[in-house]
Amino acid sequence: MNLLIAGGRVVDPSQNLDALIDVRIENGVVVEIGEHLQACDEERFDAAGAVVAPGFIDMHAHLREPGPTHKETIATGVAAAVAGGFTALACMPNTEPALDTPALIAEVKRLAEIADLARVYPIAAITRGRAGQELAPYWKLHDAGAVAFSDDGTTVENPRVLRQGAIYARDVPGVFISHCEDGALKGDAVMHEGAHSAYLGLCASPGLAEHIIVARDLLIASDTRKPFHIAHLSSAMSLELMRFARAHDIPATCEVTPHHLLLQDDRFTAFDAQAKVNPPLREAADISALRAAVRDGTIDAFATDHAPHAAQEKALLLSCASVGFTGLETAVGAYAAALPDLPLSRFVALLSTNPARILGVPGGTLRIGSIADVTIFAQRPWRVDASRFHSLGKNTPFDGATFERRAIATIIAGRIVMRDGDVCTTSTGGEVCRRR
Amino acid sequence: MPQNHNVRSLLDLDDLTKDETQYLLDRAHDLASLPAQRDLLRDVCVVNLFFEPSTRTYTSFVIAQARVGADVVGLPPGSSSIGKGETISDTAITLAAMGVRVIVTRHPESGFPYRLANAFTGHVINAGDGSHAHPTQALLDLATLQAEFGRGKIAGLKVALVGDIAHSRVARSNIIGLRTLGARVTLVGPPTLLPNVFEREGVRIERTLDAVLGDIDVLMLLRIQRERIAAAVMPGLDDYARNYRLDEKRLRMLAPHAIIMHPGPYNRGVELTEDVLNHRGWRYAQQVSHGVPVRMAVLDFLVNGVRAAQVARV
Repeated sequence: MNLLIAGGRVVDPSQNLDALIDVRIENGVVVEIGEHLQACDEERFDAAGAVVAPGFIDMHAHLREPGPTHKETIATGVAAAVAGGFTALACMPNTEPALDTPALIAEVKRLAEIADLARVYPIAAITRGRAGQELAPYWKLHDAGAVAFSDDGTTVENPRVLRQGAIYARDVPGVFISHCEDGALKGDAVMHEGAHSAYLGLCASPGLAEHIIVARDLLIASDTRKPFHIAHLSSAMSLELMRFARAHDIPATCEVTPHHLLLQDDRFTAFDAQAKVNPPLREAADISALRAAVRDGTIDAFATDHAPHAAQEKALLLSCASVGFTGLETAVGAYAAALPDLPLSRFVALLSTNPARILGVPGGTLRIGSIADVTIFAQRPWRVDASRFHSLGKNTPFDGATFERRAIATIIAGRIVMRDGDVCTTSTGGEVCRRR
Repeated sequence: MPQNHNVRSLLDLDDLTKDETQYLLDRAHDLASLPAQRDLLRDVCVVNLFFEPSTRTYTSFVIAQARVGADVVGLPPGSSSIGKGETISDTAITLAAMGVRVIVTRHPESGFPYRLANAFTGHVINAGDGSHAHPTQALLDLATLQAEFGRGKIAGLKVALVGDIAHSRVARSNIIGLRTLGARVTLVGPPTLLPNVFEREGVRIERTLDAVLGDIDVLMLLRIQRERIAAAVMPGLDDYARNYRLDEKRLRMLAPHAIIMHPGPYNRGVELTEDVLNHRGWRYAQQVSHGVPVRMAVLDFLVNGVRAAQVARV
């Protein structure tokens, strides 16, 4: 695929680049970057007024396949990804069955190839069946294409099991991704423990439920030297623990979701299950600490925790309702809304360069010779309309919100797969776009 | 005075203004002295949707409904998969389609009546949801206070609520109602049953009963459930008794005019001793007696709005 992206502001933190220059792509690879490149016979993309960045990578998405495909399929998930500006995503293994065998990893990759939109990097389970007892076959899972390991959705309760796994897998490429919620402290909680939960009389989970596992897993990372990545970190104290890890050279990174940067626990005043998510929405002080930690570099990555569910699964009793939000199609706007003044180089690093580095996957750069995955975004106010999502999951707390920033094109290996919200499918030769 | 009546459902006492709260107390007072008013809800279909066992509240609602002439259907607890498999709005649509105009509901999960009211075209009365709210209990407690101290005299009363505040829907609704009418509220209990976050304007916290006994007008005791011991929320009844059980010795520290209330069912030997039941200030039976007229008043208020006769007096 040959393409000239012309007139845009190229922001590529991997090479400290922020300039009004052009990018030439040939055969799916970046071949030239410079001012006023002359078009040859390739397609020309006019990026004037927009930002051209290495493709965004969501390192935390739930695609539900195999398993509850009424919530999402790999095909709908990758369509949602490119619609939201993501050229790649890593999918969590809490499918049915859990992704704990090479065959299942291979099947996810096969379905992703058929869908042929965003790149899909499967994350395999840490324990068999995500049951927290026996170790998953890390080397074989790696051979099949797993890029990281996680029992996300639940915490590996037994520290001995997690430590043994980390030691065994130390030389296997791929971080251990920790979902940090202590089961006993959390109990049957549906929200964060604080003034709101006290007022509402709802079963609540204290911040401590997260902190105690963040601390434990950082200490296991220190003890085993296996790199750990803390998923969807949500509170101020967890950030202090991350800073401790940094200061003590513990191999650890962390991510934050858009919703934890924007929403707090007052969302439950109508007892609306739409606000139910793990870890729970916390307090104003946590939100400001998270925003500060994005700015000061304590947080390494933005990740959506895209968790699609059917509408009726969110319409049940709070205790029975499904957990989480769909996120791929709102992330760019939501992150910019939370941090409107964040330097663009940092914005791109958190969405592209850093996730690529943490996962050890291609991309995250527009260096000459690298794969031509590109996200083009702009300040262009838009209103979220969940009914028009490509994702099967319409469960977003941002429905109806107006965001200032959005991806306007998604380019994978030089092929434009999304333009102004329209997703292009290969079955039509990429020519006809599916309009939503 | 209550104006532009637009209260559709009674989910908690913060649905009501101060004037509306006072109106309901006055209306209940009048209804208590009148014969049954079987025209008030004639041809109005009411469903009692109770998902938790209830004796006092359920019986009191059924009697109140009979005395205002409603057509009443009770659904046996456990007979429904509402909210687990069937969505809450499906339930609301189904009952509305049968012509049901009022749902009285009790549910073990906080917030259920709110979700139901959002989807239901008629009136919802919360008869207790999880640990959250129990507005008709709080109203009958306020009616008890008004009968004791006089109309308009709840303002400035010093009221202490004692025990398991964290798990008590009665406490939460009473805190709202008491603040609305201007009482000064003190909450008393151990930190696991009474987190500091309950402190706010007009509500203070004390950690021992002895700290408040000499300076209060009203003591509201709450039921202590033995499950709290198994759940490691409190050590045991002896330890609780040391700081919080109302016994003969502590009764003597009460002011002569002070009264003692309890939403029931009370546990002898746990939050109170037998001495309390024989004390001149014990008002449990009076509380229960206000239940029927208060619930008649709520049904009438939601369905018919404000009565002119009462408005004139307010």
